[in-house]
Amino acid sequence: MTPIVQIDHVTRRYRGMTALDDVSTALQANTITGLLGRNGAGKSTLMRIITGQEFMTTGSVLVDGQSPLENDAVLGRMLFVKESQIYPDIKVKRALEAASWFYPSWDHALAQELVADFELPVSRPIKKLSRGQHSAVGIVIGLAARAEITLFDEPYLGLDAVARQIFYDRLLADYAEHPRTVLLSTHLIDEVANLLEHVIVIDHGRIVADASADDLRGRAVTVNGRTGAVDEFLAHREVLHRQAIGSLASVVVTGPLDDLARARARDLNLDIGPVSLQEFIIRTSGDARERISA
Amino acid sequence: MNGIARVARLHLVDRFSYTWLVWGVLSFVFVINAAIFAVIPLTQPSGNYTGALVTIYIFMGVIGVQAATKFLPFAFTLGVSRRTYYLGTVLLVLGLCLAYSVVLTALWWLEGQTNGWGLQLNFFRVPWLLDGPWFQVLTTTFALLSLLFLFGLWCGLICRRFALLGTLVFFGALTVVVVGAALIVTWQQAWPRVGDLLVNLNVLGASGLVALVGAVIALGGYGTIRRLTV
Amino acid sequence: MLDEGTPLFLQIAEQLSSDIIDGTLTEGSRVPSTNEFAAFYRINPATAAKGINLLVDGGILEKRRGIGMFVTTGARDRLIQARRKEFAEQFIDPLVVEAGRLGIDPDALIEMIRRPTDRRRTAEYEPLISSTPQAPQTAQEGEAS
Repeated sequence: MTPIVQIDHVTRRYRGMTALDDVSTALQANTITGLLGRNGAGKSTLMRIITGQEFMTTGSVLVDGQSPLENDAVLGRMLFVKESQIYPDIKVKRALEAASWFYPSWDHALAQELVADFELPVSRPIKKLSRGQHSAVGIVIGLAARAEITLFDEPYLGLDAVARQIFYDRLLADYAEHPRTVLLSTHLIDEVANLLEHVIVIDHGRIVADASADDLRGRAVTVNGRTGAVDEFLAHREVLHRQAIGSLASVVVTGPLDDLARARARDLNLDIGPVSLQEFIIRTSGDARERISA
Repeated sequence: MNGIARVARLHLVDRFSYTWLVWGVLSFVFVINAAIFAVIPLTQPSGNYTGALVTIYIFMGVIGVQAATKFLPFAFTLGVSRRTYYLGTVLLVLGLCLAYSVVLTALWWLEGQTNGWGLQLNFFRVPWLLDGPWFQVLTTTFALLSLLFLFGLWCGLICRRFALLGTLVFFGALTVVVVGAALIVTWQQAWPRVGDLLVNLNVLGASGLVALVGAVIALGGYGTIRRLTV
Repeated sequence: MLDEGTPLFLQIAEQLSSDIIDGTLTEGSRVPSTNEFAAFYRINPATAAKGINLLVDGGILEKRRGIGMFVTTGARDRLIQARRKEFAEQFIDPLVVEAGRLGIDPDALIEMIRRPTDRRRTAEYEPLISSTPQAPQTAQEGEAS
């Protein structure tokens, strides 16, 4: 696994606020990495810095060993689809045509298929499209270009669940045939959980988790049962969240639980359940948490 | 096709303002002028003069402002650096200016041939400025259009990067520089010397001056785009 | 189909193993490709590959260059052996604990295991499985105390 993007101690400060605080991570080549976090966590800022569109206050970013800032050679291998992408006042088909000039790997047939999938009116000016259609344009460009390093920043604004699923399915299918490095930022975690190989979680400008998706899935479990039994079981475990109703308690703890612990839970008549990626991220976001890394 | 050429081509995807709009407006202004001057009597023996040609020059400035960032967000998405975008835009601008200069010079010549369109109207012929042999008219037109276009480009970038306040500061600074220079010249009672210099400027000197001013503007624009974010 | 608890690649491996054990996938037959799995379950191909490779490492699947993945001969036996080892922990232990809670002693438990058909004939089960209505019977025979 070779890291194709190296992010070292990147900090981005604006007047009075810190968007990114000493962020260090790496993106592995030919993987789909999810950049997860709440709105305003710093996902967009990080992606903009990776693509040289934003300047870091301190730190460095290396894409394939070079800085992406004003670097045509490196930038030409990247494509960055943002939410609310601003297009010039042109028709959809002109935008697609123009995009194809910039990527030798552009697949025209795929673009046509995607246009049909999203029912895009190609002869209409982009500024007259609905929100969902507008997002679809970005998705078509993002997928058809087959850029070596493709970044999507919440590209599905306005897309309904069906259209979003089309995007995920198409992304997966094309990625399987033509592997590339994909960074997908989203706050709709459950929808994409299964697509991701690696997960980076950002909260308030800091990375709070950076591990494989499989790893993170086992990082927490829910323990349900009578309050007394639950507390006895919890003893020295880190509690991420606690809920109680009557004499029953439901607690989210850091896992994984080994066989011994599971046996003990059974003895105490406790029910052990899984924690979805989304719930895990919700429970570990918020006030400063110990960084969990693979 | 290299990156810079691709950016120039990108701008041309939306060519309405560079084609129909520019020439439409110019035609409109021309027709109005012609209509007016067809009716009123001659103001001077050599014919009627109108400064309406300045319209197209102002227009170029405005188009420059738009071109600065019209395609920038899209270009960023497609992995274009600021430098390449700027160079591509300047390339486009200069190419357009060349094309327009040729057309304007042709119209200037035609006006001469038809004795002011049969109305003795001097629309494309401007004394002293657009006068003399055709290649002089061509180069002067090209120089003026380019300077205005480049200046518009710079203004557009300033506005985008520094917003309204910054743009005001920019123009304020420019005014200070220009007025300041004029004041210094006046103080030194050097106007006659300046006048002499300009009048005696030969072709080489003139183009040198234009190139210098153009370079300053172009560099200013580049300096502004370097830290621009979208 | 896929739950949140165990890692996805393990679930893929387990699903394939179950299919091999119950005969859905016979020895020597071709297994769907990584990409086919990924598309079907809507998961990352790398995850599907991980699951498949787990089985390749365990000698359950083999790769035939250019053709695809196939179930090895003896795979079923190997899987059954491995499953048997886990059986006690996965099924027996919870069973014993639950039976203990309900006050079912080991002998009664063994009886229940031995005679599942008898159990099914009690009044409680009958209306659920027979199609013709029967005269209701009081729950007496079969059910262990």
